[in-house]
Amino acid sequence: MLEIIFDLLANNAVPLQEHVSTDVVHGSLPKAAAALGVGLAALGAGIAERGIGAAAVGAIAEDREFFGIGLVMTVLPETLVILALVVIFLV
Amino acid sequence: MSSSETGNYEYVSARVRSRRAYLYGDEEYRRFVRMGPGEISRYMEETTYAKEVNEFGARYKGVDLIEYALNHNLASQFEDLLRWSEGELYEHISRYLKKFDAWNVKTILRGIYAKEDIERIRDDLIPAGEFKSAFLEQLIGSSDIEEFVNLLEGTMFGKVLIKGFREYEDTGLLVPLENAIDRCYYQQLLRKTEVVEDPSLVLYTDFLRAEIDFKNIMNALRITHSGSEIPITEYYIQGGKQFTAAKLSSSMKNLDEMISMIRESTYGEQLSGAIEKLEGADSLISFEHELEAVLLEYCDRLSHVYPLSICPVIAFVLSKEKEIENVRAIARGKEAGLSPEEIEKQLVIS
Repeated sequence: MLEIIFDLLANNAVPLQEHVSTDVVHGSLPKAAAALGVGLAALGAGIAERGIGAAAVGAIAEDREFFGIGLVMTVLPETLVILALVVIFLV
Repeated sequence: MSSSETGNYEYVSARVRSRRAYLYGDEEYRRFVRMGPGEISRYMEETTYAKEVNEFGARYKGVDLIEYALNHNLASQFEDLLRWSEGELYEHISRYLKKFDAWNVKTILRGIYAKEDIERIRDDLIPAGEFKSAFLEQLIGSSDIEEFVNLLEGTMFGKVLIKGFREYEDTGLLVPLENAIDRCYYQQLLRKTEVVEDPSLVLYTDFLRAEIDFKNIMNALRITHSGSEIPITEYYIQGGKQFTAAKLSSSMKNLDEMISMIRESTYGEQLSGAIEKLEGADSLISFEHELEAVLLEYCDRLSHVYPLSICPVIAFVLSKEKEIENVRAIARGKEAGLSPEEIEKQLVIS
């Protein structure tokens, strides 16, 4: 999948080359990759939350007291996205 | 990967685990043993049985109230399991819960055989299986065993019952019919789980085969204990893991041999406590209870190893059944005037 995206980026870059120098294109490549990284991290978090959310709702249905802990557990994988977001500021 | 195909294991096991936490423990049983039926039903009203006790409270009282509340609660809890589950998980649960169809069919069969009162047969049914209550009513109403077998023709028990009925006509014994039902139940369970490679299902199959093994041991022990000459092949259920029919029938002539066979099998270690009890006492009951407790423990372990599988659900079904049996034993024991110590002996506590 990554190859396709890089291909797309490269192909789109061709007409740009006429106006902008190659340095700029190369400079934006890491940013695009970082953005992709954050997106993938969010996807991973979503998959993780699917299972946890189902279990949490099940537990809350049995006992409302689980609401607090269920909520915390459900959003726990969200830390993945926050950590991935750091990458944005690094590039 | 949609949940409708594979099943919503997360949701169901979370709910089942939560329900499991509300089951009665040792402490409650010990308290029940010292209470009268009225007190027990009052206590039950404050726990998960509130709805049933309130519903039947006006019509029944004492032990009957407890019995009705227990049976209906069991049925409604197992209905919930089916309501929650989806896809593959639903298939597994509904197949396992056919256990109660087998139970009901056997109960009615015995009732008809013994010409028991319709009301009394109805009391002993557990409406948790697939058969609708109208169909069960029809079965109870059948005038003799032939009519009963004919009514069941379209169901999963149909074919084997017709075969068993021929034997019944020759011998006049219920055994072939009852065995046909048991065998049929386990075969339909194992048939669908044989060809899978999912590790959790492999373990589930293992558990089912252990359950069959234990059933076979129990049957063999009962025959040996009663001193009757019926060959074990009459009772034997195919699909067990450890004990073949030949192995059982060669050692069942004598109780000591039987015990040493169990000790040498892979269950020997887990059952060591039970085996000692069996050697010491001549009552089979405590051994039977020990077997049940070991099976429950085995299933519990599986449900920790594979939390997202059918195992937690089966563990819940088994422990709920134990709870029902225990409370019923206490209530009935109280009614019969047994002492608390004697009643405690009848309980399966794991």
